[in-house]
Amino acid sequence: MEPTPLTTSSTLTSGALAAKPAGAAAHLDPHLHAPVPSFWPILLAGGIGAVFFLVFLVYLGVPLAGVLLAAAALYSLVAAAGWANTIAVERRLMDRLQTQKDLTRGFFFFLASEAMIFFAYFEYIYYTRFTGSVWPPAGMPKLETSLPAVATLILVGSSFTLNFAVKAFLRGKQAAAKNWMLLTIAMGIVFLGFQGFEWGYLNGVMSFTVTTGAFSSAYFIMTGFHGAHVTVGLLMLSLVYWRMEKGEYNRDYHMSLMAAEYYWHFVDIVWILLFFTLYLF
Amino acid sequence: MSTQVATLGEAHPRQYHGLLDWLTTTDHKKIGIMYLVFALINGWFGGSLAGLIRLNLYNPDWHIISPALYNQLMTMHATIMIFLVLMTSFAGLGNYLVPLMIGARDMAFPKLNAFSFWIMIPAALMLYGSFFIAGGAAQGGWWSYPPLSSLQYAPGHGEDLWILAVILLGIGSIMGAINFLVTIIDMRAPGMSWTKLPLFVWSWLVTAWMLLLALPVLSGAMIMLLSDRWLSTGFYRPALGGDPLLYQHLFWFFGHPEVYIMILPGFGMLSHIIPAMSRKKVFGYKGMMVALWAIGVIGFMVWAHHMFTAGISGAARMWFSMASMAISVPTGVKIYSWLASAWGGVIRFTTAMKFALGFIFTFVIGGLSGLMLAVVPFDIQVHNTYFVVAHFHYVLVGGSVMTLFAGIYFWFPKITGRMLSEKMGSWVFWLFFIGMNWVFMPMHLLGIDGMSRRVATYRPEFKPMNQFISEGFIFMLIAGLLFTYSILKALTQPKDAPDDPWDTQAIERSLEWETASPPPAYNFAEIPQIR
Repeated sequence: MEPTPLTTSSTLTSGALAAKPAGAAAHLDPHLHAPVPSFWPILLAGGIGAVFFLVFLVYLGVPLAGVLLAAAALYSLVAAAGWANTIAVERRLMDRLQTQKDLTRGFFFFLASEAMIFFAYFEYIYYTRFTGSVWPPAGMPKLETSLPAVATLILVGSSFTLNFAVKAFLRGKQAAAKNWMLLTIAMGIVFLGFQGFEWGYLNGVMSFTVTTGAFSSAYFIMTGFHGAHVTVGLLMLSLVYWRMEKGEYNRDYHMSLMAAEYYWHFVDIVWILLFFTLYLF
Repeated sequence: MSTQVATLGEAHPRQYHGLLDWLTTTDHKKIGIMYLVFALINGWFGGSLAGLIRLNLYNPDWHIISPALYNQLMTMHATIMIFLVLMTSFAGLGNYLVPLMIGARDMAFPKLNAFSFWIMIPAALMLYGSFFIAGGAAQGGWWSYPPLSSLQYAPGHGEDLWILAVILLGIGSIMGAINFLVTIIDMRAPGMSWTKLPLFVWSWLVTAWMLLLALPVLSGAMIMLLSDRWLSTGFYRPALGGDPLLYQHLFWFFGHPEVYIMILPGFGMLSHIIPAMSRKKVFGYKGMMVALWAIGVIGFMVWAHHMFTAGISGAARMWFSMASMAISVPTGVKIYSWLASAWGGVIRFTTAMKFALGFIFTFVIGGLSGLMLAVVPFDIQVHNTYFVVAHFHYVLVGGSVMTLFAGIYFWFPKITGRMLSEKMGSWVFWLFFIGMNWVFMPMHLLGIDGMSRRVATYRPEFKPMNQFISEGFIFMLIAGLLFTYSILKALTQPKDAPDDPWDTQAIERSLEWETASPPPAYNFAEIPQIR
């Protein structure tokens, strides 16, 4: 996955500044980069803090809190976008290969932390299952597996189509890459549709709600949390598609494409484990 | 050198001044300083709560503080001290020192670094604000076990705010951990191989791993706790088939690594301070490194030793008891290596060294009481008594806080360009050292005698000992005042600290001493070469 030859560029092996030509060349080295001040971190932190507090106010039923919450969420999105844009601009001054390497590594660590949140939920469900006296717990319906199995096939399939998209891109077949990408996004949306139908069916027809019992709570929080991740993954893929359309990627610089791909595979693997745990096991 | 400085300075014309400079900074050093100042302020709040607790416990019949308020003070004292003081100050020193020590110009993600700091402010506001809402702050202790934290027993909204604040703090810590990991892996100066990495950086690498893997589990547990309260789900409610014990598993899966998160950077600092003040190289570098990893890995396998009385199986008790004891082996390796680092050296009893040696004394006591608690029958006997309070204050105050004092006295000249008064430092050390032993040593006895922790009053026969303890608190209070005064006084003085005030470079090279005190924004005019 590493971009090719010139990667082992000056960054880590570079020596003294004195040995380099002054001016622009110095900017190529991220290690020569004095930090640039930015308003985005504090603005985003304030936005996320406000979102948390407003969620609390919505829970209390404070009038207008919902509107403010939507505003704060929108504001946070804008701040995040502004931040991302600043980075894209600043990166032109820096060694992009090194930046991509850092970002990729950071992204993997982020996925590890995500995996640990899911780990907490999996620990919950297996613990409850193996230490509880009765299984299945009272009120737990027989979960129909055929539709979810189709949804699973679609999501798993979308991992493959995404892989085809990336491979096509790396072979320089831009049009094919974009088509595969569109197909992936469509499959993700169809999966979410299946999920929505499933939730509606369980809630409405089966009267299987979050408050039915420990299993239903776990079912909804796990599928809900996963669904939120699918949504974020779809946003990432759409952004990537948009950037492909604008022709912003090339053979060496396509970190966000790879990030979106890994994120999507991650979401897919989590779903396979979820499907096994909640439906089959 | 000065010409290069000018070139780099001009590279970025966009520069704010005054308050805006601090609000917009992405400089790891300024962020580190903000962390440290924030920690000191919160230290005063958290310490004041401890003072109120000790005041109330001076006499079992005074009831100056209502039991409900007592619970709030106790919960918030722990929450503030853990999340906003200890983690924060280690994050501050790590932020300041890690890029310097690895010869980098900044962290890998400078803006994310600033974000990790700023996200703490709304969390702190929510925590402190919860005192002023109806029902007051959270009362369930820092671990917030259900059903004590359920809607039924904690109907106040302080608990909700507490949960939200903890999730926010978790986000900041996870982002910080990612930043530290990438920085240490990717940004080391040319030639700095893994075996040349300073031990403080190693300690932060292990700490960041633990943060990355432990904090999300807390967030998961907190989301389930909140949804039990808000959406009436059944995660921890037996009536719906849930299990409150599971919360304890999830919480301590985070909570026990957390205690190592709060001490490993301190271990790392001592591995710099003790050799420097003994004019020797650190003894057993590789052993120290392996010990850090051993603590980091075994630290994830011992969580249920907090739950010996909660109803876990015999086999689980045995495993967690043995694993907990096993941790004392790498810890012992570190203690002996520090002693060997000082052994036969030309020891300079600076304040930093006094705190470092004082730490070894107090931390060994905390470690030994920890070993006692790892023995299941003994733990069952003293569970939920002051013996446990004594133990974890010996490792957190006698451990973490002592290393922090040592670290501040050692690196303050680098951070500010000014020396802290050694004369006052000596007073700070002795007052704090005597005070902390005075306060926490008798708690062992109170615990063995059966005084319950987390209760606003106690049986009359414990009165003399409790009064003795509360009097000892005054020593710690004066030490804190003197320490703060000492810092403020030093800041009014001219910057006269040399680049390497402790004269360490002749013995063992550590990059932070090779740049100016305080370092310029870009740290090093030339990226240092390590051979």
